[in-house]
Amino acid sequence: MIGRVLRKELIDHLRDRRSVVGSFVLPILGPLLLLGMFQLLSDLGSDRPLELPVVGSEFAPRLIDYLEASGVEVQPAPLYPEDSVRRGEAAAVLVIDPTYAERFAAGRSAPVRLIVDESRNDAHRSVRRVERLLVGYAQSLGALRLMARGISPEVASPLELEEIDLSTPEKLAANLLNVVPLFLMLAALVGGMNVAIDTTAGERERGSLEALLLNPVPRRTLVLGKWLATSIASLAVATVTLLGFMLTVRFLPLEELGMKMLLGPFEALVLWTAIAPLALFGSGVQMLIATFARSFKEAQTYLNLLNLLPMAPSMFLMFEPARSAAWMLPLPALAQVGTVVDVMRGESVPAWHLGVIFGTSLAYTALCLGALERLLRKENIIFGRP
Amino acid sequence: MIAIEGLSKRYGAVRAVNGVSFRADDGKVTGLLGPNGAGKTTTLRMLSTLVRPDAGRALVDGIDVTRQPHQALARLGVLPDGRGLYPRLTAREHLEYFGALHGLAPAALRARIDHLVQLLDMAGIVDRRVAGFSQGERTKVAIARALVHDPRNVVLDEATNGLDVMSTRAMRTVIRELAAQGSCILFSSHVMQEVSELCDRIVVFAAGRVVADGTPDALRTATGESNLEEAFMKIIGSGVGLA
Repeated sequence: MIGRVLRKELIDHLRDRRSVVGSFVLPILGPLLLLGMFQLLSDLGSDRPLELPVVGSEFAPRLIDYLEASGVEVQPAPLYPEDSVRRGEAAAVLVIDPTYAERFAAGRSAPVRLIVDESRNDAHRSVRRVERLLVGYAQSLGALRLMARGISPEVASPLELEEIDLSTPEKLAANLLNVVPLFLMLAALVGGMNVAIDTTAGERERGSLEALLLNPVPRRTLVLGKWLATSIASLAVATVTLLGFMLTVRFLPLEELGMKMLLGPFEALVLWTAIAPLALFGSGVQMLIATFARSFKEAQTYLNLLNLLPMAPSMFLMFEPARSAAWMLPLPALAQVGTVVDVMRGESVPAWHLGVIFGTSLAYTALCLGALERLLRKENIIFGRP
Repeated sequence: MIAIEGLSKRYGAVRAVNGVSFRADDGKVTGLLGPNGAGKTTTLRMLSTLVRPDAGRALVDGIDVTRQPHQALARLGVLPDGRGLYPRLTAREHLEYFGALHGLAPAALRARIDHLVQLLDMAGIVDRRVAGFSQGERTKVAIARALVHDPRNVVLDEATNGLDVMSTRAMRTVIRELAAQGSCILFSSHVMQEVSELCDRIVVFAAGRVVADGTPDALRTATGESNLEEAFMKIIGSGVGLA
């Protein structure tokens, strides 16, 4: 009998062409987005030659050699350097003073000016690079001068500052992997959303719930059949999304970014086993919430909000890249994010982790379906509230 | 046979149904007549197990619907107030689904559907999706759905509401035919012509109570009015809500 309810709901859903097509938009969008973001990153990461117009390059040939050796393309200076920077034609212009050679030879500070416009955000990166090169040149020369006088260079640098830049493309790419669990979870929830609404709030809005409950069939049978239909729709969309990511990962420029990311058939199977419980539980919760809604539209509003919730653990783990811990396992969404990221990093996931995820999710699902069964005895749920 | 014994239901301070009792016999069409809001639909919902009564009981062929809801529902065919159909399913798929939920075997179900298609003159629409159906066609599907398990007791809530003249006449023919075959028909309406035309016995509702119960002739005699319309006006006290 459960099978008969399931069959009816699936046929009904599959004929709702717009909702079926709509539910598969996300699985296509997720992997494409990942591909696009990686493309952007690898563009950002590659060191393009830095163009730097220099005024008076003839006064400091050694400095020019150093800059060119460091990947700077030294260009002849424009006629009006300040205007050129102000108009954004050059990120910065280096001006070497005519007294440079003379003062340098005398062991005094040789004047150089860097013309920049701090208000131009797009030039920041280039300006900082030039500054770092100049400071580096000055420090190494200074150190040489001190050593020539028998003094340790450390005397002149009481602090040793080492800057560690976390915004390297590698780190960003590793964070981007959090997109994978996020989209898998969204797929598992959004995939069944329309079925969840259609079989509960929709059934009442059409007025067919009353007729359905006039059959000599236990409420539990109806609830289980509808829940199975919702779960199957969820799992179908989640599975397609997972296959999409498997395909996409092959095309990602991972090695260029020095990353390891595993998503072969075995890893995919582990991921599926971690995501499936969320699809089952999510179907139950969505049906329960939709049953409270007064109309199809109202149910959609509630569920769209509900389906944003898994974003929270994804964000949390993106900024706090902790390992998945045992305490996360009974918490839906958090458990999924942790497990998926672990698997993709190439770490092994113990079977009992998956067992705990499955067990807890099924327990939550049973609670939802039990509540739903009781709700279907209440007349304000059957006939709707004004 | 349907027996209602002292049914009561209150919503807050409103006594929607207040100690209602009546019987509907096999082979007869029993009409529930009363203005909108008189308690007819709530009574029928209690009979069909969807609303739990505060007091009293409803019996279908002697089975208490509160104690044994599934046994009662198996003997009851209900055309509910909400006619809701599934727009993406065909008329035949509706009957197949509800027939299966009533536990009919596939072969018996096929034969029953053929019979209903003939009875309700649905051959032209049975394999079309319900989405584009007219009001009359939708009512036909809903009635066929209520009759799919060949119930001995049939409850029709405002069956002719929204139907055109032809469909209404066809519906009356079907109801009479079912009663002639020995079914117990309970037919509620706020349209007096409908009830007086069709029913062997009339139960009149007003403000949650049964205010009169008898054959049309008996009601005329009791009120001393030769005209049934005048008789009802006298019984209910006013014609508000009746059509």
